[in-house]
Amino acid sequence: MRSILRSTALRALPLVGALACALPALGVTPAHAARGVTLKGSDTMVILAQRWAEMYMKANHGKIVQVTGGGSGTGIAALINGTTDICMASREMKNAEKTKLRDRFQTMGVEIPVAKDGLAVYVHASNPVKSLDLDQLRRIYLGELTNWKAVGGPDALITVYGRENSSGTYVYFKDHILKGKDFSPRTQTLPGTAAVVNAVAKDANGIGYGGAAYAKGVRDLALSFGAGKPAVLPTAATVADGSYPLTRYLFFYVRNKPAGDIKLFTDWVVSPEGQALATKVGYFPLK
Amino acid sequence: MEDRVLPLLIAALLTLAAGAPVAFAQDAAVPPDSTVDVIDSLDVEDADLGVADEAEEIDPALRLDGIDEQLQTLQGEVDRLKKFKFSGYIQVRYDVAEADADTVKVAGSPATITPANQERFYLRRARFKLTYDHSPWSQAVLTIDAGADRQARMLDGYIALTEPRTPEPRHQLWVGQFNTPFGYEIERSSSLRELPERSRMENVLFPGERDRGLKVQSLWAERFEATVAVINGGGTGSAEFPITDPTRGKDVLGRVRALYGTIDVGVSAYGGKATVPLTGPDVQLDRTRFGGEAQAYYQLPKFGGGSLRGEYWAGHNVNSDSTKANIVSPTTANPVTLLRPGTNPNNLATDFAGYYVMWVQNLTESYQVAARYDRYDPNVDVEHDQYERWNVAAHWFYQGLTRLTVSYEIPITDRADGAGGYVDPKDNLWTLELQHTF
Repeated sequence: MRSILRSTALRALPLVGALACALPALGVTPAHAARGVTLKGSDTMVILAQRWAEMYMKANHGKIVQVTGGGSGTGIAALINGTTDICMASREMKNAEKTKLRDRFQTMGVEIPVAKDGLAVYVHASNPVKSLDLDQLRRIYLGELTNWKAVGGPDALITVYGRENSSGTYVYFKDHILKGKDFSPRTQTLPGTAAVVNAVAKDANGIGYGGAAYAKGVRDLALSFGAGKPAVLPTAATVADGSYPLTRYLFFYVRNKPAGDIKLFTDWVVSPEGQALATKVGYFPLK
Repeated sequence: MEDRVLPLLIAALLTLAAGAPVAFAQDAAVPPDSTVDVIDSLDVEDADLGVADEAEEIDPALRLDGIDEQLQTLQGEVDRLKKFKFSGYIQVRYDVAEADADTVKVAGSPATITPANQERFYLRRARFKLTYDHSPWSQAVLTIDAGADRQARMLDGYIALTEPRTPEPRHQLWVGQFNTPFGYEIERSSSLRELPERSRMENVLFPGERDRGLKVQSLWAERFEATVAVINGGGTGSAEFPITDPTRGKDVLGRVRALYGTIDVGVSAYGGKATVPLTGPDVQLDRTRFGGEAQAYYQLPKFGGGSLRGEYWAGHNVNSDSTKANIVSPTTANPVTLLRPGTNPNNLATDFAGYYVMWVQNLTESYQVAARYDRYDPNVDVEHDQYERWNVAAHWFYQGLTRLTVSYEIPITDRADGAGGYVDPKDNLWTLELQHTF
């Protein structure tokens, strides 16, 4: 039996040898070396990542960084099936997603915090309501409070705007504000933060949520952790010290420990230069 | 794909709402956030098309309200459609097998012998999975397979009720037909597996991998998962009772796992009854299985992730070979199937043992190699009945969803040579496979 095993193993050796030789010929260099670094995911992070990419490519001649949105869930799916180098996510990866990544790449992925964000709650500029506590906000999005009068506003129905479930912001809001419960069926889902801002800007009774950097033409609400506690607006200071209730990290996820062009780019993003740009765009630095 | 479809639908709807009989091919590429810009541009389009007079008679605010109403309706329809999720994969193979005695083994579960045909193309798996995701409360899943030259058949058909309180359901109840939750290898999708087929012990003991019943799966703590299932037993691929369960008692099994990400370990246990069909009183025997599993993951700089995995199973099982040896086959003269005189029915089942060890290594993100040794001994008290196999494979991943595989399989079995000795038949197998997932 041993001789049979030996002979068959010898027959298999050419396959292994051929493969070993063929891999370099086929180009066992990272795919991003040829086509640049690709980023996909969180719509919240698209503006920021585009600015980072522009600045990075200006400072590093010949380097290519491509950015597309689609939502954190879409970015994570692309990371799992190998169609993006970096996933942008405004939420942490779920265990089920990490398992899928491990099934294909034998790795749990590497999480790189790249900025902080204050998740702003927007209302129309003419809305007299200036602040809410987290319980009021939760009840509005669960559909338990449906009239602005209940929170000190005019006698008018609240129009609730939210994001699609592929959005990391949607997941973050659901986890942290709704405590896992489902959004009110009255919530009008929109495909991006800019769409939420546009809708609220045109709707005197609207309320929406999204990255603080997008709040143009609408007004941010001050938020408090609970009734009777101080309400604060999302500013660099309140996000940095954690006094603003909806503060979160924004992440890059990569499959393996960063190397080559991916490492050069991620290192630049967390450098003082990259972090300064994050502040300029309307986000908040890590430190 | 849906992200591309939605802007197209919105653009088309806006076009219709404005009364413009042409499609905005260019606007379809505009991001959804630019809806307002599209609306603002409608007057210009109307004027260009010569319908300005009609448009001017309509209050712009009313028009916007009308468009908004239609958008809400459309959004509702899209939301409902998004609950349907389609996925699947196709595996096309070309096999080149060594042949012995004019036969060739066709890989499968269980392997079968067919007339000589040493080189062949075939469709090993062509699977289509439909999920209706009614998160956070429930899911309905249906998987159809049309591969392996069979007619289309249902593989999975189950309802999963999930705990709605947490974003990731920690507790689930499944009812229907699903993969038997025993060990690591069974529940792992064939589209992800690094070698063309599962280990021999899995093929023999869980034919078809699936069974009917219910299971409860719980992630009790962050790193501790427990699964308990009650099933018919025998599996959907059982030769005698593929769908029905001849025994009143159901088979019960469970699996517990500790999950640390880089090292996962688990144990499984199975208890039930198996029936040996005879003409006359059938014989019912105990079917018990115990298993241990471990998977360790690591990173190699410049290459990527790798893993070492292994499972060991042992137990008491109705062994088809020993069954045949103890049953008098029906003949025209004697159309009954009975045990040979003097046979102890308890000896129809034998103690078995089997294991595999496996290594997988990614070579950057586009290539992967894997090797496995597996061994299955259907009757630990008998010599020359064991099955051993070496299997090596290399993969090339193309654009994420396409995988090209080259595999070489070396089974080692003892076949009586007629002169009191044993030989290993020539049945090694080369497999070239192209897989596409969707």
